[in-house]
Amino acid sequence: MSLVGGITLKGINAYKVEVEVEVTGGLFSISIVGLPDAAVKEAKERVRASLRSLGIRVRGRVAVNLAPADVPKEGALLDLPIAVGLAEKLGSLLLREEALFLGELALDGRVRGVRGAVPAALLARELKVPLFVSSENVPEVALVEGVEAYAVNDLQELIAHLRGEGVLNRVTRMDPSELEVTAEPDFSDIKGQGAAKRALEIAAAGHHNVLLIGSPGSGKTMLARALRGVLPPLSDEELTEVMLVRSTVGLSFENSRNRPFRSVHHTSSAVAVCGGGTSLRPGEITLAHRGVLFLDEFTEFRRDLLESLRQPVEDGNIVVSRSTGSVSYPSRVLLVAACNPCPCGWKGDPLEPCRCSPTEVERYQKKMSGPILDRIDLYVSVPRLSSRELLGLEGQQGEKSSQIRKRVCNARKIQQERWSPWGYSCNAELPEKLLRKEISLKSDVRTFLQGIASSLRLSGRGLSRVMRVARTIADLEGCDNVAVPHVSEALAYRETGFLS
Amino acid sequence: MTEHLELGNWGERIAANFLSEKKWKILEKNLRLKRGEIDIVAMDGKELVVVEVRTRTLGRILPPEATVGPQKLRKLVRSGEEYVMKNNWQGPWRIDLVAITINNDNSWDIEHITDISVGEFRS
Ligand SMILES: [Zn+2]
Repeated sequence: MSLVGGITLKGINAYKVEVEVEVTGGLFSISIVGLPDAAVKEAKERVRASLRSLGIRVRGRVAVNLAPADVPKEGALLDLPIAVGLAEKLGSLLLREEALFLGELALDGRVRGVRGAVPAALLARELKVPLFVSSENVPEVALVEGVEAYAVNDLQELIAHLRGEGVLNRVTRMDPSELEVTAEPDFSDIKGQGAAKRALEIAAAGHHNVLLIGSPGSGKTMLARALRGVLPPLSDEELTEVMLVRSTVGLSFENSRNRPFRSVHHTSSAVAVCGGGTSLRPGEITLAHRGVLFLDEFTEFRRDLLESLRQPVEDGNIVVSRSTGSVSYPSRVLLVAACNPCPCGWKGDPLEPCRCSPTEVERYQKKMSGPILDRIDLYVSVPRLSSRELLGLEGQQGEKSSQIRKRVCNARKIQQERWSPWGYSCNAELPEKLLRKEISLKSDVRTFLQGIASSLRLSGRGLSRVMRVARTIADLEGCDNVAVPHVSEALAYRETGFLS
Repeated sequence: MTEHLELGNWGERIAANFLSEKKWKILEKNLRLKRGEIDIVAMDGKELVVVEVRTRTLGRILPPEATVGPQKLRKLVRSGEEYVMKNNWQGPWRIDLVAITINNDNSWDIEHITDISVGEFRS
């Protein structure tokens, strides 16, 4: 068995690749079994040139075997273990213990960072072997507790280290307790929009998906961006999950507890949004895991794209199928969709007249009840402020995101305590049946609900949604029981409020 | 033609001297095999080297390695294979190029390029 290990990624998990090197007599050649042809050519050049830059000449017939053979691999991830395996065979070093190596080699021997460092660190920890990674990957590897990792700048110092000269620095764990939420923009940067901010606070508190409806320039995108600043900070566990995902696509560590915010355009491909493709990478919905997925110009989205988002939004994970098997990625997101109120965009605007016919408006609003929208709990109107209103707000400082976040965190704590016996953590997660049974309504609320359900002709599902949101509003106030005012406010966030 | 041959022979002598000074052991010079010719066979330490010698007066229009095309290289690989088989050489071997360029003032420059097959040809 070879002591030299590399990794390959499947989903967000790293799997060990054993690197075996044989050198026999003959004309110089390198063959690599287990990599696609194009990758072999590049890997050969990088490995050979970088060894040569250290004065190690590769000679004879070199056969590199990457096992297991039937698992797809990426060349750049395996440069370092191949070079180490070769150097060992050529007598430049002697490995005493098994180790994992991860990095791409530059022709001059520098070791570049690659994707997959966090999954590699988790694998090394599990296998109880040291991991050697590029210094560029250190910030993310430092997040993983209990891994023996070393930072490598170039091949020369790695080989010196493996010869027993011990020159490499061990990666010290970063203490995550110092990390904070630094998300921008802050709610206090947004003028006016008191009602929309309130709705987003409720969304954050109960993890409710939101649709923002407003004319161009009303600030929907800014509000959506600000939402992550009022969400609870990522927990240590969530931080690792987020970093694990970012690492698999080669994104660096953000150095904060900010929840992810990812924006998807309606022209995006299904692969970009859901993940997959030839390199089998996670999509935007997975990059938004534990954070916000923003779908702007929602009514422009293709129906099939929305359909493909439905299941992952519901389940919190997405399965991507490929000829070599299927991979599961996490996708627990808070969905924020945004759209105009009508085709021309100005319906209900204080300044600009709407030019749409009633039929056009009706047809447009039908799109607002397509797939995914049954997953939306809050419909929020974002009116454009007139310049007079904006001037009137001049000098008025709105509430800071950090203050709102405190209330949100308290409300989440209450939900966590209430629902943990059933294995749920927030109101939005709760199945309808359980919600209706355990919601704790004040005695007069039931009759009130029955009254409005018939007068507003609420469907069963619509009624549940109102109850769910009302529960969150009550939690924000710290009330054990849901009261009439909570329900009344929740009613304002129904879709029918916009369709009438 | 004879002039060309003479120039070639001269170049091979210069190249052999150059390699001997590097403490290489010269095994063969101007070797004719079934599959082609080898200018010099030598030992660079524990590695056997098939040396192609290029002598030219043209000046440096092309880099020397560009004067050995893929066809010539394949021919060298085949000749090298024949040689190591015949002599039962089990160790590693490679192909080098020694390029001698004669300047206008009759001085000359030697360039030595190691491993011109760069692992591209597998036997
Ligand atoms: Zn309109």
